[in-house]
Amino acid sequence: MRLELGKIYIKDVQFGPQTKVENGVLYINKEELLKEVGGDERLKSIDVELAHPGEEVRIIPVKDVIEPRVKVEGPGGIFPGFISKVDTVGSGRTHVLKGTAVVTTGKIVGFQEGIIDMSGEGAKYTPFSKTHNIVMICEPVDNLPQHEHEEAVRMVGLKAAAYLGKAGKDVTPDEIKVYETLPLLQQVAQYPNLPKVIYVYMLQSQGLLHDTYVYGVDAKKIIPTFIYPTEVFDGAIISGNCVSACDKNPTYVHMNNPIIEDLYERHGKDINFLGCVITNENVYLADKERSSNYTAKLVEFLGADAVIISEEGFGNPDADLVMNCYKIEEKGIKTVLVTDEYAGRDGSSQSLADSTPKADAVVTAGNANEIIVLPPMKKVIGHPEAADVIAGGFAGSLRPDGSIEAEIQVITGATSEVGFGYLSAKTY
Amino acid sequence: MEKTIIVTNNILTMQKLKSKHKIDFVEGTLLDVLIKVRDYIHKNHKLLTHPLMGSIKPNQTPFKSVAISLKAQDNIDVESLMYIEKSIETAESLIKSKPPRKWPENVLEDFRVIDFDLIYNALNR
Repeated sequence: MRLELGKIYIKDVQFGPQTKVENGVLYINKEELLKEVGGDERLKSIDVELAHPGEEVRIIPVKDVIEPRVKVEGPGGIFPGFISKVDTVGSGRTHVLKGTAVVTTGKIVGFQEGIIDMSGEGAKYTPFSKTHNIVMICEPVDNLPQHEHEEAVRMVGLKAAAYLGKAGKDVTPDEIKVYETLPLLQQVAQYPNLPKVIYVYMLQSQGLLHDTYVYGVDAKKIIPTFIYPTEVFDGAIISGNCVSACDKNPTYVHMNNPIIEDLYERHGKDINFLGCVITNENVYLADKERSSNYTAKLVEFLGADAVIISEEGFGNPDADLVMNCYKIEEKGIKTVLVTDEYAGRDGSSQSLADSTPKADAVVTAGNANEIIVLPPMKKVIGHPEAADVIAGGFAGSLRPDGSIEAEIQVITGATSEVGFGYLSAKTY
Repeated sequence: MEKTIIVTNNILTMQKLKSKHKIDFVEGTLLDVLIKVRDYIHKNHKLLTHPLMGSIKPNQTPFKSVAISLKAQDNIDVESLMYIEKSIETAESLIKSKPPRKWPENVLEDFRVIDFDLIYNALNR
């Protein structure tokens, strides 16, 4: 499967009479966009605002972030199972409006978190302070059940990203990057002397506000299976995960999964990247046994010499991470785990809720309990009262000057468990 | 779905699942629920759902529901014991790091709904 990703670099986003990309600027016809995403009776109102890097703007509470993309050549369309039919995606050509992001805000539950600061200290912790953000603000009808609310806001985000992505369809990309994974036997034969690597891609799948979808299917109902990495770039994996802002994978992060990007970068150089095995993180312990058994069986069958495993979430998924690690290592296949930590404010507590001596190669994306001070912002987009909940919440407190002292877990993407962020370690 | 014991301090879980499962309702904290679960495990019941289900941290949500086997086995299930001990350790550590706050009733209701949904989905999959 071969995908050309045509990157159109967008340096500014403005409202204008026609939705189009011209000279690196994305112009948006606001009325047309709102018409495109509207019509869901579950939402009382939808509005859109823009937020640019460097502005004194806070977006809160962030539900999802999605990248505008469009399928230009090849089968299927973007976000299969939701916006497009379920044709297999991941081949041909896709255009991306690089530097833009659709951000949805919606107060689905009263403790909703997720902060994107476009400037100041908080901006350093979220990758979405560097994108021109098209923020969709959704208000539900009264007494809308939480799961309906989540679904309605999720669809607004996908529709908006698909609509905006179309503006790049006939634009010549600034850069074209080619990704290719061959059918297994051919892929193995292509680089016979390089170690064969599989990426075990764990998807949050516990239930309400903790779900992920694959081609429209609720991931808690799948058994682990193979997916070509380029399918993910076309939006085959969608986030319905709304809690734990710092380490949930927004749809944007799935579409730009940096583990996949990095494995492709080294593909044919020092590794042979065979593809991804997606698996879930269910609550029922027998499901965990089945999924980890299946995952280990599948990576062995695919002939992996080594496996990278990333998890999504806290607590319960640690058990899946450890089971996957243990069972894959038992088959004589090396593993590297990617996670984040809840190690207390001083970082000295146990980082995960589970462990195994076989997990002897672990990459951390940071300690979510670390403290940060967020300065007051001139403008808040979304639901300002959510800041009060965070300020008075379990992870933050309001200071007299209006700044918020909070754990970095309230910031969208701060400790991304696929490493889509800026935290790194230095030795002195 | 087989009948289980659900240890919970979430009234919504009790109301919605009491017709199909045996409910042990705990008038207490999330940690009290986990400790009650550990008691059952010491009496040879098997853990069926992960005690730290959900990404909402144990010092954030006050509610927890955990399913265990209706019948005791002949011996203690060591894996169940490991899970509950590690879960209690993690919960205690986070609660010590930052104790839970008092939430308004509408937020408490959201926590109840999510806790119920997660245990419901775990048992009805």
